[in-house]
Amino acid sequence: MNKTYHWLVGLHFTLCTLAMIWPGALIANRIEPMLLGLPFLFFWYILWMLVLFAGMWVAFVVRHGGRHHD
Amino acid sequence: MIDSLIIVGITLTYLAGVLWVGLRARGQQNSSLEGYVAGGRHVGVVILFFILGAEIFSAFAFLGAPGWAYQHGAPAFYILAYLSLVPITIWALGPRVAALGRERGYLTQGDMIADHYRSKPLGFLAGVIGVLALVPYLTIQIAGAGLLFQAATDGLVPFWLGALLAFLVVAAYVFCSGLSGIGWTNLVQGIMMIAIAWFLGLSISERLYGGVGEMFAQIQQAAPEYLTLPGATGMDWGYFSTAVLVSAFGGAMWPHLFMKFYSADSGKTLRKVSVFYPLYAYLLVPLLFIGFAGILVFADTPLARADTVLLRMVMEVADFSPWVIGLMLSGALAAAMSTGANLAHTAAIVLVRDVAGPTLMKGASEQTVVSATRWSVLGLSLIAYLFALANPASLVLLLLGAYGLIVQLFPMVIGALFMPRLRRASVMAGALVGSLAYLLMDFVWSSPLGWHAGVWAMLLNVLVVAVWQGATRAGDAALSRTQHS
Repeated sequence: MNKTYHWLVGLHFTLCTLAMIWPGALIANRIEPMLLGLPFLFFWYILWMLVLFAGMWVAFVVRHGGRHHD
Repeated sequence: MIDSLIIVGITLTYLAGVLWVGLRARGQQNSSLEGYVAGGRHVGVVILFFILGAEIFSAFAFLGAPGWAYQHGAPAFYILAYLSLVPITIWALGPRVAALGRERGYLTQGDMIADHYRSKPLGFLAGVIGVLALVPYLTIQIAGAGLLFQAATDGLVPFWLGALLAFLVVAAYVFCSGLSGIGWTNLVQGIMMIAIAWFLGLSISERLYGGVGEMFAQIQQAAPEYLTLPGATGMDWGYFSTAVLVSAFGGAMWPHLFMKFYSADSGKTLRKVSVFYPLYAYLLVPLLFIGFAGILVFADTPLARADTVLLRMVMEVADFSPWVIGLMLSGALAAAMSTGANLAHTAAIVLVRDVAGPTLMKGASEQTVVSATRWSVLGLSLIAYLFALANPASLVLLLLGAYGLIVQLFPMVIGALFMPRLRRASVMAGALVGSLAYLLMDFVWSSPLGWHAGVWAMLLNVLVVAVWQGATRAGDAALSRTQHS
C-alpha cells in the first residue's frame, strides 16, 4: 500500500502543478463561461486550489487519520 | 487633519495590541536556544499555519498582487498558482527535516548541510548567503511600512517615523519572546489581513461596479485582453510557467521558511499545515479584485506605479471613511510586520549560529548564544532600517541575486535528506555552476527562450551533480580494479 500511496500523492501533486501552468492552464485560457461572476481562467485557479487542498486532505486522512501512524 | 488623526489613532491602537500580544507570549522556554529559535520544537498546527502563511504574505503580496492584476491582468494568477503550490514542498520535505533536526539538534539550514557533508565551510557559506538575502528582504518590509504610513496619513506620519514605529514593535517582541512571540502575533496579524482583504475587495467592487460579476462583465466589454493570458502586457507561457515553478519549489529553500520545519511538534503537524496551506492563498483573491477594479478606473490616467493601486483605490476612488482607511493601513502593516518579524529572527539566528558560530564564537555557552541572537535581532533590524532610509537601488539586485543563490541549495538539501550517495564535491560543483549561470543570465545575458533564469540554472546544477556523480563512481570503479589486479 505504501508504494501505491506515494505514487498517487505524487500524481496528484503533478496534476495540480500542471493544471496551473503550461499546458494545463492553456485549455482554460478563456473568459466564457463566467462562473461565480469570475472569468473562466480566474475560476480555474480558484478551482484547482480547492482540488489541491481536497486531495491533500484525503492523503492526510489515509496516512495519518488512524491511530497507527503517530 | 482630523481624518489623518483618526487613521493614526486606529493604527497606533493596532500596533499597541500587537506589541501586547507579542510580549505576553514570552514563555518559560525562551532562555534556552531551542526555545528562542524553534519554540522548543513544540509548535502546533494552528500557530505553525499562521507562521508559515505570514512568511509568504509580505508587503509585496499585499501591495504587489493588486498591482500585478492592475498592470498585467491575468498574469497575476501566477501569484495564486505559486502560493498554492508551496505546500507540496512542505509536505514532501518537512517531516524529514523535522525528524533529522530533532535527532541531531539542527536549528538552521547550515547546521544540516555542514553536518551531513562533514564540511564546516559549507555551512558557513550557506549562512553568509542567507544573511545577504534576508537583510535586503527585511529592508523592503521596513520601507513598505514607512511608505504605507506616509501615504495613508497624508504625510502626518513621515516615512522615517512610520518605518521606525512599525519595526520598533517588531524588534521588541522578537527580542523578548522569540518564536513564540512571532507565532502569536502572526495569528493576530494573519486574521487581520484576511478580514481586511476580503472586506476591501468585496466592498470596492460593490461600490464601483455593483458587484464582482458586474465588474468582470464590464472589463470583458472594455478590455478583454486583461482577463486571459498573455494578459495586457504580453507575458508568454514559458516565462509564466517557469516563474511559477521556481517560486513554488525554490521558495522552500528560504532560510526563514525552511527553519520553521524544525519548530513543528511532529511531522504529522507539518503535513496537516500543508493540507490547509492552499486555503491561505485565498487571501489573495479579494486583493486581485481590487487590482482588476483599477483597470477601468485608471484607464485614462494610468498610475505611474502599479503597486500603489490598492492605496489609491481605498483612499481616493472608493471614498471610504477614515476609520476604514485606518483599518486598511493596519492590515497592510500586518503583512509587512509579520513577514519582517520572521526575517529579523531568522537572519539573527543564521548570523550567530552559521556565520559567527564556527568563527568568532567558537565554544560559546548556550546563554551567550541566546543573548547574542537577541541582540542581533536589534542590530540587524537597525541596519535594515538605515538601508531603508538610504534606499539604495542596488538592494533589489542584491535580493534577487542572493535569492537565486539560495535556490541553488536545492540539490544539496535533497541530498542531505534523501540521497546519502550524493557526494560533497558533486553537490558543491552543481551549486557553484548553477549559481554562476543564474547570476550571468540575470545580470549579463538574457535567459534562453525567455524562461525564468532560475529554471535553467537549476537544470544545469542537477546536470553537473549527475555527471560528477557518474564520473567519480566510474573513477572509483577503475581505482578498485587496479587495486585488485
